[in-house]
Amino acid sequence: MHISEGILSAPVLITGAGLTATAVGYSLKKIEYKEVPKVAILSSVFFVASLIHVPLGPASIHLILNGLTGLLLGWSAFPAILVALALQGILFQFGGITTLGINTLNMALPAIICFYLFNQGVRSKNNFIAQILAFLCGFLAVLLSGIMVAVVLVFTGEGFLQAAKLLLIAHFPVMILEGVLTTFCIGFLRKVKPEILSIG
Amino acid sequence: MKNKLYLFLIIIFFTVVVIYKPVFAHKVNVFAYVEGDKIYTESYFNDGKKCINSKIEVFDQQGNKLLEGQTDEEGTFSFEIPEKEIINADLKIVLTASMGHRAEYIITSNELKGVRELIEEKVEEPISMNDSEEPEVSSLNLKEIKLLIEEALNEKLDPILSEIREIRKSQTDKISTTEIIGGLGYILGIFGIIAYFLSRKR
Repeated sequence: MHISEGILSAPVLITGAGLTATAVGYSLKKIEYKEVPKVAILSSVFFVASLIHVPLGPASIHLILNGLTGLLLGWSAFPAILVALALQGILFQFGGITTLGINTLNMALPAIICFYLFNQGVRSKNNFIAQILAFLCGFLAVLLSGIMVAVVLVFTGEGFLQAAKLLLIAHFPVMILEGVLTTFCIGFLRKVKPEILSIG
Repeated sequence: MKNKLYLFLIIIFFTVVVIYKPVFAHKVNVFAYVEGDKIYTESYFNDGKKCINSKIEVFDQQGNKLLEGQTDEEGTFSFEIPEKEIINADLKIVLTASMGHRAEYIITSNELKGVRELIEEKVEEPISMNDSEEPEVSSLNLKEIKLLIEEALNEKLDPILSEIREIRKSQTDKISTTEIIGGLGYILGIFGIIAYFLSRKR
């Protein structure tokens, strides 16, 4: 999901960077003092998750965990993912510095969409429903990211359908895995620390 | 209670980091080397998967595209080094793989030196044949000696060269634990700064 440097044209990069900057600015205004440690922790989770390869399917893929990040952080997912991606870019050469904006957008926007879709649901009294929704959250976040990357790649001349098909087939195992992981995390948090789910 | 949870999460993290020893970056790599008058390229994702049917482009130092090709089933691609003039400069090899991955590799003019000599020799050969009529014996001997030396050198240097290749490859692939822990430190630091400014606002 990390788009490398030198692939996208300047207008696409600038648009991505602009949108990301706006979203990060907005969320930093909104962020509460008490929330900051949680954001830092999830940012680190996101940072490390990309190092875990999933040896399934046809392509080389790794965990993303943007669904979980979004679900627990809401709008704060933007700075969390931005910081994690910046460090991945500098230290591991994942993605790149010029593509930082667009990559953050591709991963954080689905996270926020999932936050709005599932935030209420995972706090449901019914344990079963909550777990199903948590699964969907993890699944959908990766799916949406894949679609967004495919849309962005259209600007490079790769056909949308072809790119989308490739991305989604390659990431299908990750979608399932992240769904399961998110289910476990939410299940655990519901038992141990339900109040963590209630903060946006 | 809250602190305990964070502590727990942090402990999980470090266990993951420590257990997950052979970490590889998620990116594509393209690697190229010169052999004879050809350049061979290998392209792969860091977990070892080959990049099949990916586009390889070769540029000269000024950024002019010299040639283009596709990798085969093994992720490899080879091409003859184009035009003698270009050999004096570096060649840039660019790999564009699917899903927005891209990598570059530069073959320096140093590496191309051997090829330059090879080609020069080829060019010189007919000329030297013509004017080598008088000191035939000695020049032939010289050539033979040169060939022998080259052969012996190649034999001796081959393992070293392939080792250098391996080292270079692993240098670009691996992520060290230091980098991961360093990264985590940066994250905590950055959010620490954010927390500081937020606390001043209050």
